[in-house]
Amino acid sequence: MEFAAVTTLNALTLISILLLVGLGLAISFGLMNVTNLAHGEFVTIGAFTVYFVQSLGGSFWFGLLAAPVVGGLVGMVLEYAVIRHLYSRPMSTILATWGISLVLQQSLELAFGLGAKPVSPPVEGTVDLIVAVYPAYRLILIGIAAATLTAVILLVNRTSFGLDIRTVIQNREMAEGVGINTRRSYAIAFAFGAAIAGLAGGLVAPLAIVLPQMGVNYLANAFFVVIVGGAGSIAGLLAGSVFVGGLTSILNYQISPSLAQALVLLAAIIVVRLRPNGLLGGAFR
Amino acid sequence: MTERDRNWLTLFATGLILLIVYPFFADGYQLTVIRDALIFGLFAASLDFFWGRTGILCFGHAAFFGLGGYVMALITLNGSVPLAGLVGLLGAIAAAALLAAVIGYFLFFGGIRGSYFTIVTLATGVICQQAAISWSSVTGGDSGLIGIPPLEIDFAGIRIDLGQDLASYVFISIIVAIVVLLLWQLSRGRWGKVLTAIQDNEVRAAALGHNASLRLLLTFVVSAAIAGLAGALYVCMAGLIAPDLSGLLLSTEVTVWVAVGGRGTLLGPVVGALVIQRAQQEISSFNPSLWPLILGLLFIVIVFALPDGVLSIFSRLKAIFRKTEPAR
Amino acid sequence: MSQALLKASGIGVRFGGLKALDGIDYAVGERELSCIIGPNGAGKSTFLNVLTGTLRPSQGSVLFAGTSITGLGLNRIARLGVARKFQIPSVFPSLSVEENLDVARWGTASAARSTKELLELVQLDRVAGKLAGELAHGQKQWLEIGMAIAIGPKLLLLDEPTAGMTPQETLATAELLLRLKGEFSIVAVEHDIRFVRALDCETLVLHQGRKLRSGPFREIEADETVRNVYLGRR
Repeated sequence: MEFAAVTTLNALTLISILLLVGLGLAISFGLMNVTNLAHGEFVTIGAFTVYFVQSLGGSFWFGLLAAPVVGGLVGMVLEYAVIRHLYSRPMSTILATWGISLVLQQSLELAFGLGAKPVSPPVEGTVDLIVAVYPAYRLILIGIAAATLTAVILLVNRTSFGLDIRTVIQNREMAEGVGINTRRSYAIAFAFGAAIAGLAGGLVAPLAIVLPQMGVNYLANAFFVVIVGGAGSIAGLLAGSVFVGGLTSILNYQISPSLAQALVLLAAIIVVRLRPNGLLGGAFR
Repeated sequence: MTERDRNWLTLFATGLILLIVYPFFADGYQLTVIRDALIFGLFAASLDFFWGRTGILCFGHAAFFGLGGYVMALITLNGSVPLAGLVGLLGAIAAAALLAAVIGYFLFFGGIRGSYFTIVTLATGVICQQAAISWSSVTGGDSGLIGIPPLEIDFAGIRIDLGQDLASYVFISIIVAIVVLLLWQLSRGRWGKVLTAIQDNEVRAAALGHNASLRLLLTFVVSAAIAGLAGALYVCMAGLIAPDLSGLLLSTEVTVWVAVGGRGTLLGPVVGALVIQRAQQEISSFNPSLWPLILGLLFIVIVFALPDGVLSIFSRLKAIFRKTEPAR
Repeated sequence: MSQALLKASGIGVRFGGLKALDGIDYAVGERELSCIIGPNGAGKSTFLNVLTGTLRPSQGSVLFAGTSITGLGLNRIARLGVARKFQIPSVFPSLSVEENLDVARWGTASAARSTKELLELVQLDRVAGKLAGELAHGQKQWLEIGMAIAIGPKLLLLDEPTAGMTPQETLATAELLLRLKGEFSIVAVEHDIRFVRALDCETLVLHQGRKLRSGPFREIEADETVRNVYLGRR
């Protein structure tokens, strides 16, 4: 019983992170058709922001607030300086964003030096959940992720900005026809995805090994989430996160993490073969 | 034979002459430097054969290079395998081809192309590197495997012992030249034209009876097999293998070699590999963590300034001269 | 009529609530030339997609040489001998004209003509070395017809082969098809009446997803109902 509960909670922690990282990719890759290989660096930047704030004596919570702001700003600059010039050149986008990812990684390394950066959680200790004892911070993480996702759903479905974004994504020409500034909507959507990934980085910082190169693992996993779930809907994102996060957590108990990763990759590839539009693909396009 | 083909053959012959002349001026160490760089050139050509002809980027190509290397290392270090050098080479080629066949089957026949393919191969590279690190009982973990003997093939009366610098330089030069020539023949012939057609308009090619998915799969498998061969050759020249050789940085570097040298030219990537590795040694001796930064900047320069590679500067200059010539 | 090579019976296609096609019977004999006409929105392209096996009908069946090809991969269908010319000219722009025809011939094992013969047939021998992407529109259309012929088909389906052509080019295309008549079956979907008149063949008239009339073009052209819904408006 306890084992099952802990596994479930571990899976939920991973799923929460994947959801937040995957959200930005679902926007850029799934909806805008932009393959941003620098997406993982938004996570890294979020984590480094929390580390930097803490190292100056600031509180974790202030760092966590700053993380999405910094991530979003970097995303905005990236969109403005590079990505917007390459919307019709997918191969160039891949190469350019990969280059940017390397530049960001090395810049962080030059600025902060080699080695893992320590980030301490805002609350220590555990919570007794009757069926299991679980670290308090992980429960907070799951709660913040759930709240963020809810806020995003409300934003997209209930506000006029959300309506604009949905219109632009469904039919760019028509959106232009009715007077929506599509260029601006794309830029905002992109920066928004980057901000959420930055938040994810801040959240995961106390649990992860904070390194300039940490982003690529999140990048790969988040792409699996989007590919498996089927790009283009929050439900697909959820399905993908549950699939990748759940499978990874379960396998991690049985076998070594890298073998677990390989098996998740294999499973993702097989899902793609059987359902080329993702688990929930087709229904939302 | 078109003008383009003639130009290619001229460049190829020039390169061959340089390789033949070089040993008269270089010492043993310099020969081994060029030899190792040539192996990476072969690796670059293998990626170019797939990327250049299909327009689909494999971003985890080092996985095949590394797999070939580990298979070679394990077979030759085992000690009980007869004809270990030859078996190792064949095993390395087969293992890389098999991995590519599995990945490629699911992706190509699942209708996956373009960016999706790039991402899944990127992930494959990440996982292969992790596997190489964590499966330490077989791969030696972070420190890798050392003491791999130089290639020695003694089969059907042919005896090749590549412990010598000059012998290994000649051997590698011959292999690289032959493989690049074969790939070029494939590219300009029927195989390459059908691939170009598929890249242009896959639905049309299929409606003419071509099995596009199968053609892409086979091209991917050939490309991976040659990458595996390059990996195997490298470990018996260097005598060691480490997880880096299947990792993301090498995948990144080979992509840059091809992009800088000129995608789809096969020779350009080999030259790109030689030149950029030289630059890397200079820069890394100055500050090792500067190199990835410069690699990153190179990507951005390629995309915005030189989308067809460095060699395209010449064809652009040519075009400018033609324009300035008086009309005939 | 000779034995039917292509036989469609009771074809119905629904997209959601919309009936795109309803209860259409159609047959093309071996080596026969046939046209499908109808105003825009009559369901011509949908019907052609059903005939080529790329669209599964909601009702009815299509048999090519006695077997169903519906749902087979495009390349399998081509290898069975069904060639198709798309509505939008789709040649391979980075290959030369000659290479386009080569690639087409290599697609199946049934190519009957050499590339040289094909170049002459579609009158592109003088631009054989030119990149297909640089051809004029009419030449692209002809190249694509040449590519469809190159695979050595039993049945050639042409979707608006003269779209965007000048009147002279249109008539020349009709002459080309008349020359090929008797070699394999040809189905042309068109709305250019001059073209169909020049072909003067068995004709199926579609209107609002239904079969309006069928028969030799002379009779169709004289038919009062057809004139009202279609010809009269032009």
